[in-house]
Amino acid sequence: MSEAPYVRLKSKKRSQRTMNGITLILIVFFALLVLFPIWWIFRTSLMTNSEIYKFPPSIVPKDWLFSNYEKTLEVFKFWKYLLNTMIIIVPSCLAGTFTATLCGYAFARLRFRGKQLIWALCIGSMLLPAMVTLIPLYIAWTRGLGLHDSYLPLILPYFCGGGAFNIFLIRQFISSIPRELDQAATIDGAGSFRILFSIIIPAIKPAMIVVALFIFIGLWNDLLQQMIYINSSDKYTIALGLTNFRGQLKSDWSLTMAATCLSFAPGVIFYLIGQKYFVEGITLTGLKN
Amino acid sequence: METINKLPKRRSRLHKSEERVAYLCLIPAFLGLIFLTYLPLAGVLGISLTNWTGLKRPEWIGFDNYVKLFTADPYLKDSIIATIYFAVLSVAGSMIYSLFIAMLLNRKIPGRGFFRAVFYVPYVLPAVAIYVGWSWLYEANFGFFNFLLSEIGLNKILFIADSRYVIPSLSLIAVWLAGNLIVIFLAGLQNVPGVYHEAAEMDGANGWQRFLHITLPCMSPIIFYNLLMSLIANLQVITPALALTNGGPGNSSRFMTYLMYDQAFVNYKLGYACATTFIIFAILAAFTAVLFKTSNRWIFYEGGDDR
Repeated sequence: MSEAPYVRLKSKKRSQRTMNGITLILIVFFALLVLFPIWWIFRTSLMTNSEIYKFPPSIVPKDWLFSNYEKTLEVFKFWKYLLNTMIIIVPSCLAGTFTATLCGYAFARLRFRGKQLIWALCIGSMLLPAMVTLIPLYIAWTRGLGLHDSYLPLILPYFCGGGAFNIFLIRQFISSIPRELDQAATIDGAGSFRILFSIIIPAIKPAMIVVALFIFIGLWNDLLQQMIYINSSDKYTIALGLTNFRGQLKSDWSLTMAATCLSFAPGVIFYLIGQKYFVEGITLTGLKN
Repeated sequence: METINKLPKRRSRLHKSEERVAYLCLIPAFLGLIFLTYLPLAGVLGISLTNWTGLKRPEWIGFDNYVKLFTADPYLKDSIIATIYFAVLSVAGSMIYSLFIAMLLNRKIPGRGFFRAVFYVPYVLPAVAIYVGWSWLYEANFGFFNFLLSEIGLNKILFIADSRYVIPSLSLIAVWLAGNLIVIFLAGLQNVPGVYHEAAEMDGANGWQRFLHITLPCMSPIIFYNLLMSLIANLQVITPALALTNGGPGNSSRFMTYLMYDQAFVNYKLGYACATTFIIFAILAAFTAVLFKTSNRWIFYEGGDDR
């Protein structure tokens, strides 16, 4: 009589173990599927062109031709493109994160007239797709301010709060910090700026890193804006350089794939360093809405 | 009497300085909202009513651009169809794929953090490099996918050079890229209270019933968020057309944003392109509105009807 639930528990445990086994197999299968294109691109970058066209194709290159990369670098000025990309990304990330923090702080903690209205305008602009303002902004930057072939139209917008979404993110994060902390500081005579720099900013560091990463990914993935604002080839970013390189070498797949792998590399390296923050940050956006 | 009068005065001085700090902090946002958002938005409307080409002085032509777009434009209809086709396919594919993977990752398996990282990797690669890389996998004669097809005895497919296959092929890449959705779903799943599942299991509910009646309702706010975000992103698709297809073959991947780009920056019809922009904006707004309107019918908020 008393054995029955015990047996049930045991069989439940066993069925759970088989379920976990099946899950693991599925996960490994899908993970390989996701990684496979990257491997295929990488293995192609190390092959001779005749080996690429061999049938059936081999999964692993016969001899690993790292010399392909040397050949690629003669035409594909990777280091220069990387530097150019960083000239856009670094100031954008710093300025965007800082101004988003200022604005988020004002919305989360300070009382001022017109708060409701400004907040509504801010949230409203979040729903406005970025491409809508593209043409007027292009006209304003190039005709109005004469900024042709310049990085400034790509960088300067980040000095204006880094986008409503990032302001929203910072505000939500600050709201989750107990107010008692800044109230105690107020009693000690600290002003609003002192509170921001000595209490709020240290507490919201994860959120600030997340905002910086979002700005990074946004610029990293952008092609359209870089295409319309940058003309001369010595100002090319990685995205522009690769697009152009592919146009030149349409059929030389091993060199094109070597250039592709080079373009992959910085993102992967950044990701491996900041993996924890990436995951934390994405999680944050999904749960704080 | 004096202290009573003093108190509000002091508070208001404090309040004043707080207000000053607030306005100082908000200067960047003010500038952004005015010059980067609302003025340009008005600009789109204004320019769309002119025949500006960037060379001559623009003339006011009323709604001519819109009339021309709807009656005589050779691309608009194809472009809208291509965009919606791509967006629906990509959003549906990536939602199902990422929820499925997130549910697998939510079980207690060894190396979960490692696998989560693997599924996220495509998201951190630069978009252009992804499309260039995949164009090799899709290559007509020696690409990997055509090797697979020939192995199982099927005919070769010109994945991105055939107007029938180009959209599904690009959508597959979009699904592959959906690592960020997986991470958000996974975080949501970890917030579903375990007691619900245990209670349902006691009542004899099987796995599928539990998924349908517990997991989905509890996850509905997050499903809504992911749906909204990926729909808005995918309706604005342009990078594959810029980097790979140039809108082709034919007009099969001439996405709306690419159409706008082509009109404004290749043909310099700025007024006309702004009219297109406004139509895209209206379509995006309509999709968003429908999603929000229907959301209260299928989103379940824990803690009852407090909205």
